[in-house]
Amino acid sequence: MIEFGLPLLIGYSLLPLIFILLSNYLFSKSEFASYVYGLIALGLISKLSEPKRNDFLKSIFSKRSYLKLRVVENLIYSIPFLFFMAYKGLFVFVLFLSALAISIALFNFSTNLNFTLPTPFGKKPFEFIVGFRKTFFLFPIAYFLTYISISVGNFNLGIFSMLLIGIVCFSYYSKIENEYFVWNFNLSSKEFLFEKIKTCLIYFTLLTLPIIIALSIFFFNEIDILIVFFLLCYIYLVTIIFAKYSAFPNEMNLTQGIFIAVGFIFPPFLFVFIPLFYSQSIKRLNTVLE
Amino acid sequence: MIRIEKLSKLYGKTKVLSTIDLEFKKGKVYGIVGENGAGKTTFFRCIAGLETYDGQISSNFDKLKEHLGLLLTEPFFFSKITGKEYIQLLANTRQIKLSNIEERNIFDLPLNQYASTYSTGMKKKLALTAILLQENELFILDEPFNGVDIQSNLIITEIINKLKYLGKTVIISSHIFSTLADTCDEIFLMKNGEIIRKVKQPDFNNLETEMKEFTLGKRIERLELK
Repeated sequence: MIEFGLPLLIGYSLLPLIFILLSNYLFSKSEFASYVYGLIALGLISKLSEPKRNDFLKSIFSKRSYLKLRVVENLIYSIPFLFFMAYKGLFVFVLFLSALAISIALFNFSTNLNFTLPTPFGKKPFEFIVGFRKTFFLFPIAYFLTYISISVGNFNLGIFSMLLIGIVCFSYYSKIENEYFVWNFNLSSKEFLFEKIKTCLIYFTLLTLPIIIALSIFFFNEIDILIVFFLLCYIYLVTIIFAKYSAFPNEMNLTQGIFIAVGFIFPPFLFVFIPLFYSQSIKRLNTVLE
Repeated sequence: MIRIEKLSKLYGKTKVLSTIDLEFKKGKVYGIVGENGAGKTTFFRCIAGLETYDGQISSNFDKLKEHLGLLLTEPFFFSKITGKEYIQLLANTRQIKLSNIEERNIFDLPLNQYASTYSTGMKKKLALTAILLQENELFILDEPFNGVDIQSNLIITEIINKLKYLGKTVIISSHIFSTLADTCDEIFLMKNGEIIRKVKQPDFNNLETEMKEFTLGKRIERLELK
């Protein structure tokens, strides 16, 4: 809020309003909004399941207090979503989300797993290696949704499955890496960014290829819509990469987050934000790469 | 060769490095000693280009950082990257094609395990292996012996000797004087961001004695141990 130039009190008062506006917008735009909404809520809740954080909590609280704390935390995080879904009359989703929020809290994550999950993204980039290991279970879900969309003849569900992969890949670029990893590259800032974009788009394309091929065959008449959404995913991925490095070596701040959110709602704005993020990224990366 | 002229660094109003003039030659090993907070790490970060500074750092390379292997005091690792992937990623940043990574794993690290689960010493060894395989010409090793077992200590000492033999420039910081004495051609003593002494190999013994006196003084007596 402060970074955005907003007084803290006004900022926090505006947040619920923005939340309601965005939620309304999402539900007015897509018939699958409830699923996306649930996924967003779970994504937020899962942030609280970070193993290091929970290991720390376990070390200072008794088992009973820890569980209470985690359940309460997860429910507090899901309250805005639960209220909105209740307002929309989606009571099954309310129950389902509440149950998931509680069960995630009960789930005992361990940081000492020795099992190394194989990844198809062998040598580069780290975003896909790390990201794939954290979200691997979402890919079969996306492919399964494509299969369902074809079997019930629902093209929109197929598009949603592609967007799901887009959102997953998008999330890989939400966190900034340690400056040491950037410093090591013997590339110019421009080359570095284009290398990032190239590998991101190639891997995204490879991951969505089965969906694109299947949808192109079974919904050939709607191939133009498919291409539009596919290209939109490209644009959003480019945006997040530029946005990420526009704050380097810091994490993205609220301003960038709001710009991205605005870009999601009104894609034409991206033609302003992308060059802006790009020039900021070059400036920031130059401090380490040039 | 790296030439450092009038290097100064301010953090706000605090002077961290003060008009440092040094020269690091090809095929030589240099040690930087000094207490915690003396400015060693900041000095290294300035050479690497990770910090802004006043003064000048020049070398016979177009871009020094592209030939520099930097071992950080506390190397950073992502949570889901294996040791092997870490080495590979760092090699990729310099467009180095690696082969036989397992064969070159001289510290016998569990390369297929996530690097974040490694112990402090193992992390250090992994980070060192990675920068060695980057085929750099210059190396800055910030506390390479920290948390490392005695066997690996010996291996690291031999690696430094080998780098010297190969004509590379190595700059090391360490709190363990004996390891520096075994490997360095020249040692610089840093205090409050200044180089207060430059000592060549024949005088290392005197420096150790001096440092001992300087560091200890009457401190132990002040404990009044009985």
